Amino acid sequence: MATGDKLIQVQHVKKYYNHGAIKALDDVSVDINKGDVMVVIGPSGSGKSTMLRSLNLLEVPTDGSIIFDGVDITQKYTVGPDGKKKKLDINIHRQKMGMVFQHFNLFPHKTILQNMTIAPIQVKGMDKQQAEQKARALLARVGLEDRADAYPIQLSGGQKQRVAIVRALMMEPEVMLFDEPTSALDPEMVGEVLEVMKELAASGMTMVVVTHEMGFAREVGNRVLFMADGKLLEEGTPEQIFGNPQNPRLQDFLSKVL
Amino acid sequence: MLSISGFQKAFEYIDLIKQGMICTLSLSALTVLFGFILALFLAICRLSNIKIAKFLATVYVEVLRATPLLVQLFIVYNVLLAGVSLPKFRIFGFIRFERFLPGVIALSLNSGAYLSEIIRSGIQSIDGGQTEAARSLGMTQWQNMKLIVLPQAIKNILPAIANEFVTIIKESSICYTIGVQEIMYGVNSIKGATFSIGEPLIIAAVVYFCLTFPTSKIIAYFERRMSRGDRR
Repeated sequence: MATGDKLIQVQHVKKYYNHGAIKALDDVSVDINKGDVMVVIGPSGSGKSTMLRSLNLLEVPTDGSIIFDGVDITQKYTVGPDGKKKKLDINIHRQKMGMVFQHFNLFPHKTILQNMTIAPIQVKGMDKQQAEQKARALLARVGLEDRADAYPIQLSGGQKQRVAIVRALMMEPEVMLFDEPTSALDPEMVGEVLEVMKELAASGMTMVVVTHEMGFAREVGNRVLFMADGKLLEEGTPEQIFGNPQNPRLQDFLSKVL
Repeated sequence: MLSISGFQKAFEYIDLIKQGMICTLSLSALTVLFGFILALFLAICRLSNIKIAKFLATVYVEVLRATPLLVQLFIVYNVLLAGVSLPKFRIFGFIRFERFLPGVIALSLNSGAYLSEIIRSGIQSIDGGQTEAARSLGMTQWQNMKLIVLPQAIKNILPAIANEFVTIIKESSICYTIGVQEIMYGVNSIKGATFSIGEPLIIAAVVYFCLTFPTSKIIAYFERRMSRGDRR
């Protein structure tokens, strides 16, 4: 790939509301490399979720580029392998970015197995039997093989989030985006979800994680971003960010959360 | 005045009411079916990003809800279908198709407008996170609608749709004005034969009640059962 090991390049991304009166993202640029476990921290309203959600265009930036696998996905058109201009199909790119939400967003009218197989079958055209086999194997990996035929409502929060993670993995994404995955969980269930995420990181998956779990950021992340007021204020290794913070906003933030 | 002998006389023509009942039910069932298809289309147009589709669907719904059904029925019968010569045959051996069809069309156009508002609210009641999850998995807007949003929305609005069915049963009586042989048409025929209107009207009221009351009770029963399934 021409871009080297850069998987996603965020370039001068801005997200304005009310014609610029509210700047949710104010000129954010960052490169996400293959194998990165990038943790984004910051106070609420700092734009970290907006940044994450603009990576797969759930939030469409007002300005700037998101280059994923060498393609600027914020554009309406792209250049095909034959050198011809063609319409950019965002769904193709979204398949390669798994996403896990704060409120799980499992489909309540589908069983756990159906939750996991519906997208591979409908979107990728995967064979039903093959999809189910794969889903069961992934469920076993997170210790939920016996809940395949249950409905989401019958699961605990921690179980739901583990299902949400493996549902995203069914599409074999190149990167996994986590939007505060443990914020809606009861405290005793946070651990089981973080454990799955840790294993995922250890398996070499590229991950971008918006979280308030500083322990996870420190232990699992290889890069930490600090955001406030829609700006990227500091970036570094966990040691730098937590051990030797430079920006006064970051120092203030850490003094409150640690 | 009502009298026992008046009822006895009216009952001699009870077959007209029976036929009317069959006609009313067919009219209502077809109206719900076609009205629902139209409503689904209108609701999707109103929620779409295509400005012109949104505008046209909104105009349609507002106009149909702001004009009397009787006027709409007469317009369909006397204006829209004025130049169309419909095949003249009889459904079930007695329902005149060339009268029945305009009735179905007018009622469907009307209930489509009302049902579309029900469907729209049903779609909007589904948490936006469902769509986000579906789209993040690479589903298209249409796949998301078909596989994720609509199945949940329709389940939520099934009671409201069934209530609309009850309303249509009652409102379909208006079709007697264009000669559809539903219950009120039967009443009118009995009046012509017996020279009294009170008794057949009472019979018609009882028949309507017997059609709609159990229907709403059955709906209430399914409503309770369905909400039970939502709990653990």
